[in-house]
Amino acid sequence: MSLAIPNGLDNTVERPGERAPLVLGETTYHDITEAVCQVAERPPSKGWIAGFLVAFALLQVLGLLILYLFYIGVGVWGNRSPIFWGWPIVNFVFWVGIGHAGTLISAILFLFRQEWRTSINRAAEAMTIFAVACAGTFPGIHVGRAWLAFWLAPYPSLNLWMWPQFRSPLLWDVFAVSTYGTVSLLFWYMGMVPDLATFRDRSKNKWRRMAYGILSLGWSGSSRHWMRYEKAYALLAAFAAPLVLSVHTIVSFDFAVSQVPGWHTTIFPPYFVAGAVFSGFAMVLTLMVPTRTLLGLEKLITIRHLENMCKIILATGSIVGLAYGTEFFIAWYGQVPAEQFAFINRAFGPYWWAYWTMVTCNVISPQLFWIKKFRTTPWIIVVISIFVNIGMWFERFVIVVSSLSRDYLPSAWAYFTPTWVDWGMLIGSFGLFFTLFMLFVRTLPIINMSETKATLAKQEHMAHMHVPAQAPLEAP
Amino acid sequence: MSEHAAPVVKPADDPAFQLPASLASLQLPLMSGGLFALVVGVGLAFLVGSGGALDQGSNVMPRFGFSAYLTAFMYVLTIVLGSLFFVLIQHLVRAGWSVVVRRVAEFMMIMVIPMAILFIPIVFSLFFEGSLYVWTIPDFAERLHLDESMWNTKKSFLNGPFFVIRAVIYFGIWIAMALFYWRGSTGQDETGERAATDRMQYWAGPCVMLFSLSLTFAAFDWGMSLAPMWFSTMFGVYIFAGGILAAHCAITLATYLLQRAGALRQEVTVEHYHDLGKYIFGFVFFWTYISFSQYLLIWYGNIPEETEWFFSRQRGIFGYLSLALIFLHWMLPFVGTMSRHVRRRPGLLACWAAYILVMHFVDIYWIIMPEARALGHEVVPTAGGVLGVLASVLCVVGMGSLVLGLILRVAGGNRVAPVRDPRLMESIVFENI
Amino acid sequence: MLGWDVASAGHFNENHSRFISMDQKTMSETKTERIVHGIMAEFTSVDSLLDACRRVRDAGYTKTDAYTPFPVHGIDRALGIKPTVLPWIALAGGLSGTLIALSMQIWMNGIDYKYIISGKPFISLPAFMPVAFELTILLASFGAFFGMWALNGLPKFSNPMFTDPRFDRATDDRFFLYIDAKDERYDADGVRNLLTETGSGYINEVVEDDSPKEVPKPVFLVWGLMVAFSIVPLLCILTMRVTNSSRPRFHVFFDMDFSPAKDAQQVTSLFYDNRAMRPDVPGTVARGQLSESLDMMTGINVEELAQQNAPRAERLVRAYLQGDEQAKAEEVAEVSEQDPPADEADADAAEEGSSDEQPAQQDSADDASAEDKPAEDKPAEEKPADDQPAAEKSAEDEPGKEEPAENPPAEEKPAEDKAAEEPTPSESSPQATGNASQPSVMETTPWLKQNPLTIDADLLAAGKKQFGIYCSVCHGMDGRGNGLVNRRAQAKGFDTWVPPASLHQETLYADQYPDGKLFSTISNGIRKMPGYASQIQLRDRWAIVSYVRALQMSQNASMEMVPESRREEIEREVTQVKAELERQAEEAAKAAAEREKKSS
Repeated sequence: MSLAIPNGLDNTVERPGERAPLVLGETTYHDITEAVCQVAERPPSKGWIAGFLVAFALLQVLGLLILYLFYIGVGVWGNRSPIFWGWPIVNFVFWVGIGHAGTLISAILFLFRQEWRTSINRAAEAMTIFAVACAGTFPGIHVGRAWLAFWLAPYPSLNLWMWPQFRSPLLWDVFAVSTYGTVSLLFWYMGMVPDLATFRDRSKNKWRRMAYGILSLGWSGSSRHWMRYEKAYALLAAFAAPLVLSVHTIVSFDFAVSQVPGWHTTIFPPYFVAGAVFSGFAMVLTLMVPTRTLLGLEKLITIRHLENMCKIILATGSIVGLAYGTEFFIAWYGQVPAEQFAFINRAFGPYWWAYWTMVTCNVISPQLFWIKKFRTTPWIIVVISIFVNIGMWFERFVIVVSSLSRDYLPSAWAYFTPTWVDWGMLIGSFGLFFTLFMLFVRTLPIINMSETKATLAKQEHMAHMHVPAQAPLEAP
Repeated sequence: MSEHAAPVVKPADDPAFQLPASLASLQLPLMSGGLFALVVGVGLAFLVGSGGALDQGSNVMPRFGFSAYLTAFMYVLTIVLGSLFFVLIQHLVRAGWSVVVRRVAEFMMIMVIPMAILFIPIVFSLFFEGSLYVWTIPDFAERLHLDESMWNTKKSFLNGPFFVIRAVIYFGIWIAMALFYWRGSTGQDETGERAATDRMQYWAGPCVMLFSLSLTFAAFDWGMSLAPMWFSTMFGVYIFAGGILAAHCAITLATYLLQRAGALRQEVTVEHYHDLGKYIFGFVFFWTYISFSQYLLIWYGNIPEETEWFFSRQRGIFGYLSLALIFLHWMLPFVGTMSRHVRRRPGLLACWAAYILVMHFVDIYWIIMPEARALGHEVVPTAGGVLGVLASVLCVVGMGSLVLGLILRVAGGNRVAPVRDPRLMESIVFENI
Repeated sequence: MLGWDVASAGHFNENHSRFISMDQKTMSETKTERIVHGIMAEFTSVDSLLDACRRVRDAGYTKTDAYTPFPVHGIDRALGIKPTVLPWIALAGGLSGTLIALSMQIWMNGIDYKYIISGKPFISLPAFMPVAFELTILLASFGAFFGMWALNGLPKFSNPMFTDPRFDRATDDRFFLYIDAKDERYDADGVRNLLTETGSGYINEVVEDDSPKEVPKPVFLVWGLMVAFSIVPLLCILTMRVTNSSRPRFHVFFDMDFSPAKDAQQVTSLFYDNRAMRPDVPGTVARGQLSESLDMMTGINVEELAQQNAPRAERLVRAYLQGDEQAKAEEVAEVSEQDPPADEADADAAEEGSSDEQPAQQDSADDASAEDKPAEDKPAEEKPADDQPAAEKSAEDEPGKEEPAENPPAEEKPAEDKAAEEPTPSESSPQATGNASQPSVMETTPWLKQNPLTIDADLLAAGKKQFGIYCSVCHGMDGRGNGLVNRRAQAKGFDTWVPPASLHQETLYADQYPDGKLFSTISNGIRKMPGYASQIQLRDRWAIVSYVRALQMSQNASMEMVPESRREEIEREVTQVKAELERQAEEAAKAAAEREKKSS
């Protein structure tokens, strides 16, 4: 039976027993190479230049504000007693969360053999690394004397004669985020080596060839190499999958091991992880939907890819909603007055606006993805994804600020107000993120060519096999 | 890639899809023996509880009898619900590899109906104050010097009628879901209708959401409220983690036994065991992750209301069980199922699955039985001595056998794989990379 | 090196057009002069490649390889490639990560640097799990990542395969099968025929990469320059670290060094007395200040004092336990036989509003004794009327100081100040200065007879150290009252200078001058000597007392007091010293005699 809807149009419909194609059109291996390489090989478009300049300008804002912070001190932020963790930590958790989609796509979806990951994993991994870079900035400058942040490392210091405190969750964070950054970088780079070799072999320019030649380490595509390479890839995926869980789990420990009402709750680890995946996918969609259109990659990043990501957003959004509900229920069930107050205060206290923004964006807006129309229309996807991003930022704001601003000691209660530096740094961190992303688009293969080709080969192979999809139906 | 012989899908009436006679003949012995063991076990447990048997100290209360029953019930129920979740998630993600083993999970899933009947004794316990759940004791707050108004608020949730209503709702949801997927899947055996697969996939999303909500609250009701002052938001996830792990083990073990007896010989291959093994490994990790996180947060926070629960599990025999969980529920199976070579040996993997099923019982036992002690924080929980352990084991073996007999009975009247599932072929030729 | 090899791999690219323009025959002729590594064949699809692989394998070739743009599954079986040991490398990495993390944390927090935090044990295994997990993953990943490259022999930039320009498409859409010339069955024509049979569209020899291997000079130059420049900042830092400089520290980061909080003596308009640093709140004692008993803080047996002189005992309690500055000032003035310090009196006056005097302009840093400050309180009443001359004298005592004009010079000079004018030894016995009718406070106070601390070698060592720092400048290292300050004053011939007392007088021995009294003198000062309570820790002051006693004892020691084990040693030393002294005396006598001879 031939496909009701042939290659090219709608691959979101899948008839049971037949797998919908993930690469559309009469595509050959060479077409994939062309489609991906042309993004980096053609001269930069005006749009790219304009976008890069804007992002780069915002990055300068971040850089200058950090210098300003060094010069004056942390008083330039709105952090005041009792809200010592203000926006810097909100931004940190927000960015770390964004950084969860990439490795999740490359590792966990790889382990689950979700082949649709192949055309988005590269860009998503890149976003992971850039997001971790943004995230790492904030606790780094939040330590006060940022130039001494290396004291966090357990090195034998002749000046200090002491060691870091390993019973502190903040130090766990240092290890978790740096390990995550390192392993993500290795994973990303390793996945890129065969594609860099493609770039090398297509280069007309000697210097370009030399640069890509160094980066691709002399990759030749030997079968023996491929075999070890795939083994290493599977191993790294197996290591990265629990690592992804651990990173946001440990970020959640920062909060949950304390006794601050609203922070100390055991659901935090899985709830933070789900939230992180949720926000990460939202960011991937926010960026990939315009990118695929602008760069002409619709045949490789199809509506089906987008739809699948929407489904993950829906699933994780629902988990987050369930966690909100559980927290509220247990706050009531536990009958601890401070805990009860913390939750009532979140919803109806001075930060009610943040709370309800969060609920609207995180719990309600993704539920729209139950409707197929919404998860297959690119612009609606972008709108909802942006809402989710906003919602997840507010979630961290609610957790950090509303809990700290009113804890056990009413005489110390205060209302947090961000300063212009807080605003500038938040916006500037987006500058850092987008600058890196823009450079990535222009210099590195943004789609995993070798894996996409393998997917295509498998697709063709299955088509050639003409395997009957089901047992011949007999009369009952 | 195309080196193996072209696979064939056998006709629906092929003996490979029938329950082998050697297994079918076991159903009556299993059911009757199981019922007998259950009755004896519960009786013994009540005897131990009343202190009439041997003197095992004054800590063992009449609660022992019902607690032993609840342990067995929760053990079987978590496996049944884990299987239900397995079926839901396979449909949700349109999984192809698992089709050949899905019917086994469906057999276990449909057991949620007998589980509803087996729940009746627990409802029955509510009529005897404090015979299982201490919140049924009228002067509980006075005895423990709790704040009266706080306790009254809590009683608006923890009271007999509402408890029963919630249980009815949970079972209603689960039975409805199980029946829907059971009918869809067995119906397809006859009709081969593709739309049935679509329909099941369509409803899988909402079902998973309802499932997680109901399981969370059922865990709170039946497990967490045993210690009514204790609370942990993670508890539902913890029960889920144990259940889904045990369900994967049960599927592996059952499939292996089926194959040994002669069914599905060509259909289920080493590749499926490999995948099941990966999931078992993954869920061992997941269970560890959840239970460790729960412990770490409570240990670190060090708030008396919360640490109480772990405190009573760190003393006496349960202290050793806690350590046993660390080493035998996590480390040993974690190392054991790590290797690809183990996962690709069905016999070995089935052994590990059986082992983890035993450890799952230890886990459930560790959750429930420490609460079967006299009121008061300083009371050290005990296992009730040799007789107490024997009673607990008899209960769980009895209930397990009873349910297993029922499964065999149901399986006898149906095929042991979804023979006309459109993805059956994909599942048969499935290969791990 | 690396960089250039890549370029050499790319070198053929320049010759690309040349190769293309030649026909097949000339090409192979050119190549016969170069080393042939093997033969490659190009295929356009996975299936044809797999088919060819199987044929080549079945023909018995083992040194073969396939080159594909993506991993082709089944090719390892088709070519007979063995599985890899990579998982073991990763496992080893992971295990070492766990071990390193656990031992590191246990060592650092449990053994080497113990630090109590949130009531957790030093070795808190649950809290060590996260880091252990992270390091396990990190090192396992390193094992997998670097292990894979090492097993693959990469990076390796020069590869004979790269010499064929068509091989560029191996990373695009072409599949290559390669048979190595080292294979036992290798025979160029046979291989060619076999490969032709498989339907390959392009078959060619793989030849040695003969592009130049030398790294061009500019690369070395640039590299050398970069290394040289990168060393410069390091050298600068090193130089700065090992040399001294008289210039102020160079601040890369300010580190809050210029924070207002760092300036202790600031003026503020916030408080009535314009001082930014606040004195203790009356009636309170700061945290950590109330560590010892009152007896120990004052050197007085307060129990006994309460029976003799209840008001004074109460005052002591107020002064030392309740932070009453006024009471303290009175007490200090009394036991040090001086005025109460002016600033306290002023503060008190201002508080009470009973005085219309303006607070005296003060130089708070150096007037601990504060003779020249006004005070109109009780001490004055207790003093005899004839203290005016004494006051004048005392004003002359310090020539550098001017008396504030509004200061009534009368009243506050204690009579005992006269003693200060008298040279030693009588100064230390107050009753000698008159006032005989009324026993002085110093006499009547029930001082502690014994040092409340346990006297051991550590305490004496501490006392010696503190004595060396604070006391010896005046009293001399030996306690004979001839410290550096005294010697300078004598040399300069200051006629107002009062030489410090020798500590080796009988009046200062423990039977006449109890330990408590000595402690009080150290703490509160006496006459010209300022009190050291604000500079020396309580226990250290008691340590000094013990050391002074030891010093005193040392001057009258007999050999019986020395432990037997050390007597011999000391006797030997004594004889040595004596001999040395005699020798020196002889030499000196000789020298003198010679000098005399010469001069005569």
